This record gives sequence, C-alpha cells and structure tokens, in this order.
Amino acid sequence: MWYEFFAFEIKYRLKRPETYFFFLLLFLFSVVGVEFVFQGIDLGLVKKNSPLVIAKSMGAITGLSMIIASMIMGVPILRDFQYDITSLIYVNPISKRSYLSGRFLGSFAVLLLIFSSVLWGMIVGAFLPWNDPKDFLPFQFINYVQPFLWVVIPMLFFGASVFFVAGALTKNLMVVYTQGIVIFVLFMITKGITNETLQALFDPFSLTALTKASKGWTVTDRNALLIPVFGIMLLNKLFWIAVGVSALAIGYVKFQLIAISEKTFNKKQKQKALTSPETFTGSLPSVTPVYHVKAQLAQLFLNTWFHSMSILKLISFWAIIVCCFIVILVNSVSLGTSHGVDSYPTTYLMIEELQEMSIYFFMIILVFYSSEIMWKERDVKLNLIHDATPLNRFVNVSSRFLALLIIYTIVMLSLIAAGILFQTWNGYYHYELDVYFAGFFLDLFPFMALYTLAALFFQALTGNKFMGMLATIAFAIINVAISTFGLEHALLNFGGNALAPYSDMNGYGHFLTAYLWVKLYWMLFGGLLLILASILMVKGNETGLRKRWTRGLNQVRDSLGIFSLVCLSLFIGIGGYIFYNTNVLNEFWNKDEQNSFRAEYEKSLKQFEYIPQPKITYANLRVDLFPSKRAYEITGFYHITNTSGEPIHEIHVQKRIASKVVLKDVAFDRETTSNSSFIKYHYTIYKLNQPLAPGDTMKMNFRQTLQPEGFETDNSDIDVVYNGTFFDNTVLPSFGYQKKYELEDEGERRDYALAPRLYKSQRDDVRELVNARSGSDSDGVILDVIISTDAPQKAMTSGDLVAEWNLDGRNYFHYKTNQHIINFYPFLSADYEVVRDTCTPSGNGAETPVALEIYYHRGHEYNLNRMMESMKMSLDYYSTHFGPYQHKQLRIVEFPRYRTFAQSLPGIIPFSESIGFIMNIDDKKDVDMAFYVTAHEVAHQWWGLQLEAANVQGQNMILETLAQYSAMIVLKEKYPEEKIQQFLKLQLDEYLEAKLKSSKEELPLMLVENESHIYYNKGALAMYELLKHIGEENVNMALQNFLNDWRSFNNPQKTNRYSTTLDLIQYFQEVAPDSAQYAITDLFERANKIK
Amino acid sequence: MENLIITGLSKTYSNGVKALQHVSLQIPKGMFGLLGPNGAGKSTLMRTLATLQEADSGSIQLGDLNTLEHPNELRKVLGYLPQQFGVYPTLSSEMLLNHLAVLKGIINRKERKEIVHALLHKVNLYEVRTQKLGEFSGGMKQRFGIAQALLNNPKLLIVDEPTAGLDPVERNRFYNLLSEVGEQTIVILSTHIVDDVKELCPRMAIINKGRVIIQGNPIQIMESLQGRLYEKTIHKNELEQYKKEYQVISDRLYLGRQLVHVVSDTHPGPTFKSIEANLEDVYMSQILNA
Repeated sequence: MWYEFFAFEIKYRLKRPETYFFFLLLFLFSVVGVEFVFQGIDLGLVKKNSPLVIAKSMGAITGLSMIIASMIMGVPILRDFQYDITSLIYVNPISKRSYLSGRFLGSFAVLLLIFSSVLWGMIVGAFLPWNDPKDFLPFQFINYVQPFLWVVIPMLFFGASVFFVAGALTKNLMVVYTQGIVIFVLFMITKGITNETLQALFDPFSLTALTKASKGWTVTDRNALLIPVFGIMLLNKLFWIAVGVSALAIGYVKFQLIAISEKTFNKKQKQKALTSPETFTGSLPSVTPVYHVKAQLAQLFLNTWFHSMSILKLISFWAIIVCCFIVILVNSVSLGTSHGVDSYPTTYLMIEELQEMSIYFFMIILVFYSSEIMWKERDVKLNLIHDATPLNRFVNVSSRFLALLIIYTIVMLSLIAAGILFQTWNGYYHYELDVYFAGFFLDLFPFMALYTLAALFFQALTGNKFMGMLATIAFAIINVAISTFGLEHALLNFGGNALAPYSDMNGYGHFLTAYLWVKLYWMLFGGLLLILASILMVKGNETGLRKRWTRGLNQVRDSLGIFSLVCLSLFIGIGGYIFYNTNVLNEFWNKDEQNSFRAEYEKSLKQFEYIPQPKITYANLRVDLFPSKRAYEITGFYHITNTSGEPIHEIHVQKRIASKVVLKDVAFDRETTSNSSFIKYHYTIYKLNQPLAPGDTMKMNFRQTLQPEGFETDNSDIDVVYNGTFFDNTVLPSFGYQKKYELEDEGERRDYALAPRLYKSQRDDVRELVNARSGSDSDGVILDVIISTDAPQKAMTSGDLVAEWNLDGRNYFHYKTNQHIINFYPFLSADYEVVRDTCTPSGNGAETPVALEIYYHRGHEYNLNRMMESMKMSLDYYSTHFGPYQHKQLRIVEFPRYRTFAQSLPGIIPFSESIGFIMNIDDKKDVDMAFYVTAHEVAHQWWGLQLEAANVQGQNMILETLAQYSAMIVLKEKYPEEKIQQFLKLQLDEYLEAKLKSSKEELPLMLVENESHIYYNKGALAMYELLKHIGEENVNMALQNFLNDWRSFNNPQKTNRYSTTLDLIQYFQEVAPDSAQYAITDLFERANKIK
Repeated sequence: MENLIITGLSKTYSNGVKALQHVSLQIPKGMFGLLGPNGAGKSTLMRTLATLQEADSGSIQLGDLNTLEHPNELRKVLGYLPQQFGVYPTLSSEMLLNHLAVLKGIINRKERKEIVHALLHKVNLYEVRTQKLGEFSGGMKQRFGIAQALLNNPKLLIVDEPTAGLDPVERNRFYNLLSEVGEQTIVILSTHIVDDVKELCPRMAIINKGRVIIQGNPIQIMESLQGRLYEKTIHKNELEQYKKEYQVISDRLYLGRQLVHVVSDTHPGPTFKSIEANLEDVYMSQILNA
C-alpha cells in the first residue's frame, strides 16, 4: 500500500512539466550561483570552488528556492482535496501511515531529484569558458558533494517536512504559496539576533552557521577544508532536523483521513435554510447603459476600486505585509556608519533603509499580484461572463494597473508611517514629510509602476499566468544584466537610472530634471505596453497569440488609435529631447568607449610621463562660481619655475578631460608655438621659442570655464551643484602626462594589451621619490584667490580671508596664504551656518591664535561641540609634541553626501555631511567618532601638509598611519582607556574582515600601497603596540624629529626628495631601547599577524 | 423586433474537430431551444454568438448589427449565462452583481442599485444578498447566473445548459423566469434535455456533429414522425436482433422490461403498438439518422 502511494507520487510528478521546469530553473540558477551569491563581494584569495564558497552558495540558492520546495511538498495531500477525490481515496481501506508516508517520501524523492540540479549546476558553473582559472582550485567532486549532502539535504528535509505538514493540515493553497516566503522571512529575522551562536543555530539556511564555523580560518583553510560536521554546524543541522521530525510527528497525529470536515458541512446547511421559496413577480426596472467617455472614466474608477479592494481582502497580501514589517522590526533600521556609530535617523536614511528592506516584498507583490489581477476572472471561471460584457479593453487593463498602484501607495504610506514612528521612538522629531513623499513617490513608485506595466504586458503576451510571471522575472534579471553589456544609456535601459541620493544640503539637486524626463519617457513606453496588453489580453476562448492580436486590434482600433498615436509620438519626441540633451548638447560615452579612450591616452602619451616640466610656485586665481547654473569661470595665472637641471623647451598642458570644461587664453610671457597633435586627449604642447633655463620663472595665464548645457542622466556631475559645491585645484590645467587617466583594472588593461600597472612605485624609484603626488605640478605654492558665489552662499578655499564684500547680489571672498602650502586646495560654496571659536595652541606661542570655524548645514548642529573640542585638543597636542600649527585658521566645511569622506587641505577640512555631522553618539556605548575623525583630519595638517611623503610604497603609512596614531592619542587625552580599547577592537575587526577579502598577499606596513585596511586599521593597531613598547614620549620624540628633518617648507636641510618609511623607521629605531628594536621590525617591516 | 440571423457559420478547431459546419438559423423573439447531444457544437455556437470566440466563416446578424465585426456592440445588448462559470467566493452576490452592472455600463448609481435589488428579488436571492458566494449551493449560484445575465435588459439572452444540477423545484422556477424574459427578448436556450425544450420553446433546432439537422416549431417537428412510430416490449437479449431488423430509435427500461421505439413507414407487425410521437423520439431519430 505504502509503495503504491510512493510510486504514484513519483510517477505523477515525473509527468508534470513543472518538475522539469523547476529542475532547469535551479540548474541555470546554480550555474551562475557563485557569481550571484557573492556578487559585489571580493573573495580575495579564496577560490570560487572552495568547499566553503560552494556551501554558502548552495545554502543561499536553496534558501531562495524554498518556494519551489513548498510547491512540491505542500500539495500532495492538498491535491486530493482540490480535485475532490478524497472521497474516492479515503473510502478505501488504507492506513494513515502508508498514505502519509508514501505521499511524503514520494514527494521528497522528487524534491531531492529537483534540487540535485543545484549540485550539477554548480559543477557545470566551474567549467564555464569565461572563468578565470586563477579564481578556481583544481576540480574536486567531494568539494561539491559534501556541502550538498551536509548543508542542502538536511535543509530540504526540514523544509519538506514543515511544508508537507502545513499543506496537509491547512488544505489551503495560499499557505503553500506563501510558506516558502515565510521561511525566508524567518531567515531574515534570525539576522536580527545579536548573539552569534544563537543566530548561527537558528539560521535555517546555515549561512550564519557556516560563517561562524569558519571563523578564524585562514585563506589556506578556506580553500582546503570541507564543511565541519561538528560544533555549530552539527548543532544547527540537528536543530533543524529535529524541527522537521517534530513537524512530521505533529502532522501524523493531527491528520485525519476524513474527506469533509464538519465545519464546511455546517456552513452549507445553514445556507440552504436561508433560501425561502417565494418568488418575485414585479417587472424589472429599466436601465440605460451608457458607454461614452465619461461612463468609461466612471468604470475605470469603480473597477480600480473593486480590484484594489479585492487584493486588500486577500489574506496572502496581508501575510506579505506582516512579513515585511516583521523583517523591518526585527532587523531594525540599521543606521550604522562606516565607523561603527549610528547616525541620527534622518529622513533620507530612513527612506533608504525602508526601501532596501521592503524592496523584495514590493517585488513579490508586483510579480504575484500583477499575475493574480490579470487572471482573477479566469481563476474562478468567471471569465466567460466577464468577457461578454461591453467593457472597453483598455479601461479593463488600466483599472487593474491602477489598482496595483493603489496597493503600492498603501504599502508606501504604511512604510512612511513606520518611518515616522521609528524616528519618534528614537527621539528624532524633525519630520520631513516632503522628503518622505519624494523618496517613495518619486523614486520607488515610478519604478514599481514601470515594472508593473511590463508585468501586465508579459501576462497578456504569454496568455498564461505562470509563463507571464516567469517572463516578468526574466525581464527584470535581463534588465539588471543588460547595463553591464554596454547598454548604459537611459534611453535603452528600461526604466532609466535610479534617482540620485538625497542630500540635506542639496536635495535632489539638478539630478531631478533629467530623472523626471527619463521617467516620463519610460512611462510613455509603459503606456504603450499597457495598450499592447489591452490588445493582447486573453478574452473569451481565443488563446492563440495571432488571433488575440488581430481580434484585439480590431476592437481597440477606433477607441485607442489616436491615444496610441499620441503616446507613441510623445514617446519618440521626449526620447529625442533626452537624446538631444545627453548626446548632442552633451557627450555620451559608454564603458567601452571610455576604456578605449583611456587605453589610447596611455599608449599615446605615456612617453611624456617623466619629462621635466616647470613647477608652480605661485597661483593667482579669480574663481567665479555660479551654483544656480552649476557653472564656474576661473581666470588666473601661475608662476612656473624650472626646478630641474636642464632647460625646458616645451610646456605640456593637460586640460581636465571633461565635456563642457573649456580651457582658453592659455598664454605665457614669452613666445610659444602650440602643437595640437594630442588635442584629442585635451593635451597641448607649447613649444617655447626661448627655453626656460634652470631656475628661471615664467608666467602662465589661462581662463577655464565650466558651462553645463542641457542635462545628463548619469548622476556623476557632483562638483558644482546648487548648494554644496566642492572641487579642488586638480580641475585646473596641469603639466604633463596624468597617470589618473590610465585604466586601472587588470583585466581591462589586458584587453587593451597594456602592461600591468603598479599600485605604487618601488621605494627606491628615483623618479617618484621627488614627487609627493602622482605627476605633481608643484613643490609648494603661494596662493592668492578671489572667489565669488551667488548670495547668500559663502565660498571658501585655503588661506587667510583678507577681504569679503558683496557686489550685484554676489558674495566675494579674497583668500591669501602667508606661506607656501602644498599644491592642493579646495573650492567650496554653499549656504552655510557657521560656528566660530579661537584657540591658541599651546605649542604655538602666545601671539598666534588660531581662528576655528565650522561651516555646516542648518540642522546639522548635533556634533559641532565635539568637533570644535577635537580641533582645540588636537591643535594643542600636535603643536606641543610635533611642532607648531602653520596657519592662522582651521576650518571644517560640510559638503553633500555624494562623497563620504573628510579630507585635510591647507587650513581647511572639507567634511562630508554623511559622516560626523549626523552621528548619534551615545557616550555610554559608542566611541566618539566625530571627535576622532576630526582629530585624524587635523593631524593631517602635520602629516601630509607640513610633511609630505614620496609617492612610493609606504607613503600611506606616513600620511595615514601617523594621522591615526595622532588622533588616537588625542582621543586618549579626552576619553578613558576602555574607549581606546573599544576603538582598537573596531580597527582589528575591520582589518580582519578586509584582509579576508583582499586578493593580494599582505605587504608589511612600511611597503603598504593602497590597502586602507593596512594603513588605517592595522596601522592604528601597530602604532598602539609601538606606544606600549617604547612609550608615548619616545614615539612623539621620534615623530617630532622626523617632522623637523623632513618637513616640506621652511626647512633649510630639505633634500631634493621626499621622505619614505625607510626614513621614518630610522627615527623610531633611534628613540627605542635595544629591547624594543625587534618590535619595530615586527610591526612595520614584516607582514605579521597582529595580536 | 429584430431577428437573430445566423448564416453559414463554420468553425474548425486546431485539433481538426469540426464544431460548426454551415450552421444557419433564424431566431425571432421568444424562447428558442437548441437541442443536441453532448459535443454536438452547442456550446461553440453559443460562445460564438456571445462574441467569446470567432468563427472561421459565416455571419451573425442581429437586426442591422453584424456581431462578428462589432462584437462590442452586441455585448451591449447581450445577456450570457455560460454552461459552467464560477464566482469570487469571498464576495457577496450583491457586490458581484453591482460590479458586473458597472462593466455593463450601468453607471448611474441609483439605477444600478435598483436593478440589482430587483434582480435579487426576482431570482430569490435578496435574503442572502450579503452572503459570500462561496457558500452558495449549485442552484443558488445558477440563479445568480441568470440574474447577472439580465442586468442590462438584454435584447439577446443566451443560456447554455442552465438546468444542469438543479433540483426539479429550482428547475421550474428557472423556467418560469426564462419564459417571462422571453416575452420581450430573444432567448436561446441550449440543452441536451428534451423536456426543457418541449416545455418552453415555441421554436427550436436540433444540432448534431456541428450541423443543424432540423429547425422549426416543436409540434411541426413532431409531426414528421406522426403515424410512423411503434413501440414494443421485448426481452433484454433480443435487443441486438431488433436493432438489426428495425430502425430502433430508442431503447430503455420501463418497469424493469426492455422497451424499444421503432420508426417504420409501414406497420412492422402486430406485436408492435402504434404510438404518438413525442419530441424525444424526434430527437432520437434525428440523432441516430445523422
């Protein structure tokens, strides 16, 4: 008997097309599984077919595919009820045990068969022709089988048991459809558990368990070891198998072999009793059906209402919504910044978080209910009645579309309410409803609307619910993939680009215009899709595509002809307008074009890389900013000096390579002939009729303008914006070959036959030892700038503010430096509030007070005191222990969150609005990172601005590691030791995490290139170790000596090169006792593990 | 009043089944019975009339209206009750009628409410109008079906196998309703139950294998067998032999014994009894002849 049920189940499933479909789907998914699961994650040296990576991919794929398990396992019992054959089956002398176990095991066998495709797919995925062999280990079957047996099968057993029992006991198809999602939600909930062990134990997909089990593994371990069958993995597997077994036990006890439950029987009886036999004999009132446009509008309105109400009444819908909110509640809104401190729950952060967490649910709602709503009549067999009504086809489809929009609106409004609730809960009362509405209804809403139109179209086109859903999903995936294949243009990429991030300072800025045009363009396309959907929608009994097309076309020709034509011509017209803006007024380059330009640049101009060029010694600029037009006009002159030992015959001027930036009136105070053979690269060679002799100085005049026209769609123009302009002097004309334009990606360089590029030059590369920056144009410059901007904005750069005035509605500021500064200075302009203070750094001498200023955006007052105090304490400490502070002022200036860093330039620190300003620091549990980051940046006024390091390996140890050390000491002055320990723990965690992901053999600190986890995180740890070994005084002494000997300016013993770590370490060794010498070697000269 | 004129209607499905072959019918106001065995093409004809599928050739004309070319114009005056239909189980009959009334262009809220209530009274569902449709019995659902078909005062009412699953009382009530409607409207009733037609329809057609075999007034149709029909009670195992020797149009059990009806131009013999033809005999003889 048991065997009968078992065999029936297998035979039945093998005959069903979806079995093969699921198999194929999972197979294809698994082929690209590793890429999908680990997208955007750098695996570093860990190989793509290491057991751990395979196990995680398998776990994630299986977890995401739980809905398939549910569709197989949920129905075997339910099916008998659905087809009403329970009476025929249960009347037989069968035992509950053989019935249930046969059905369960049969389905489970089929399920295993289907999911075995994960194994086969992943194996095939390792042999794809475009795989890079260096990402893979030699093929080992066991690396695939073991994770499959140990990770996937127990997971499937658990899922199978629970789904089977839930389906059998509830006998509700909706349960079958949703329980796969519920498991997924469960998984997301476990991510909110803070205890690592518990989180790993309760993770149904074993992903967290795998992470926990492999904690502390080295790269070699990760590539070699199979998945542990002990410890947390064993516990996790036992736990979930136990859950599965208990589910089966409960199911077995509760299930009864009864065809009709008493409940439904009673209901039917009740209804019969209510029918009374009397008949109505009056004649029917007459009605006057109307079909004019107004009537159709009324129909549209009433049907929209009807359809949206019917979704709102679905339990499944509310199940999805409840799941969504549970996920948000449990995961909580993560406001963590990169420094481990939460931000204030500003509205834009809330929106980003809420959208990120709800987007999956939105997609589920979209795919699910757009199919549901298109086939609702057919699903209940009301379609013949419905299709025989004279309802206009377009009104019909449109009302369904609008109903879905209403659903989205309701969900979005609830999310907004949740966001406001969360803010209130956190004591943040600055509600910005306009930002909320814009965030949801300008950004997510059109996106949803467009995909809904696509979904409705695919439903109509395929004429089949399931195929329609599939086509929609495939379409979405292709759409994401397509932009990586060079179809980046907003006119070709369905839906266009995402809206630029919202900034408190700049709102959506100028990005909004382009965004709205593109959205309008795609909405018109969506309108055409809707028209097509209304033509193709299955009506009556016709299912053939061609029949539906001709028939539908016939019926809508009169009513929709003009409308379609209007849509089409607007679509083309607006498309043309956008094209005119992006490709005619502006230049559009796709990725390939950009890459080949960079490659050609390098090939043509690399020959000039180290030719002697004069150095800028004085810059006099007149910078007129026009934020409202996003334009600038810069006129000025450089004094350029030949510091080399040979005469200079040619000046190579590199204009910034950007469209709309025009460099003109370049003139020298002697005769030149210009050579434009490299003008394609914005590179002009001026041949001097009379060469510039060594030591001689000449003057170079120029005028540069930025004059944007029309709009572009790629959200990349962030230099000059309506409020929050920030760029630096690297936009100005520069001399000689610019390494920054080279292709960086190794693979791309290979494609263009370019030799691999060094991240940093060797420490003994004499050509770079004389450079403090790549291709530096100066060894120190005196700056004199008049900068003007639209009132009421204020504009800043480096230097003392010597005058300020207002003329014709514009604000003017005159800045001048009283000494040489490095040739790196910013231009900022925005409508700022300012807080001022002064201090006299204790190491500076009484006569040199420093004006402290923080220019910030109104509303970002939270951490001004912390920043101000940090500036004071830092100036005090550094001036005392390293050397005096060199400027009469120190300014912190906020800029929009398009970029997230703070940066120290001479006397001025541009500071992104997304860090520091909105940190919500709880002194009980957080490290005061606003204080710390400020101290770090102030330290750069010494490390980087007083003392420059040569552009070779180890440069960043001098600049960043020393800034880390300095800031750490100031933090120690202010806060107790445990805060320092907490800070160091954070550094260690970040270092270890990044180390795992790094694909490079780790270099010792003294040879560090661009690995921030080494020079920031490991650097801080190493300096703390050094401090413990030789004491604070000694470290400071060493640094003071180092600074004294190697400072860039006012240094009589300055050599013709910049410092390297070789020099720095000597200073450490000088002050260290013999007993500590080994520690210095260990910490800086070797790539050792850190405690 | 306009007649419904069907001319040369043909439809062949992609699997080769010839569902309609040159069907021509002329249907005036009143009840029109469409009789035929299962699979004769009745539903295909009904669905084609109801604009739910297309014919390969032929035309359908309602008065001046070419319904195949202007299906939406026909839908405006059409009431249709399909052979099988479902409902949204969670809606009440009042809500769903209201919804369908909107679809049929009854936009005026007051008018809509009146017609919905009147129809609910008429089909005797008024008391249960707020009940979920999912809880309705087969008969109640069928009555709901007729109510929705009448929402727009149709000129053409098509009811496909409406009495399947109804108990005798419900069936009677249903017929009363239909015949009342038939006083002003063309009502096409398709069925395989001869009695339905006999009781209701002044005009009828018999359709088999996609062809119209006969059409006209049931009485005239019955006259075609007048004086040619004989009946005999035989032994069960003689049936095969009788089928060979005579033109047996029906064999059924009557009080446990085998009864055969035989058509013959001459009296087949003394053991046979001459009987009055009824519609079922006509139907059987036509089906078997075909």
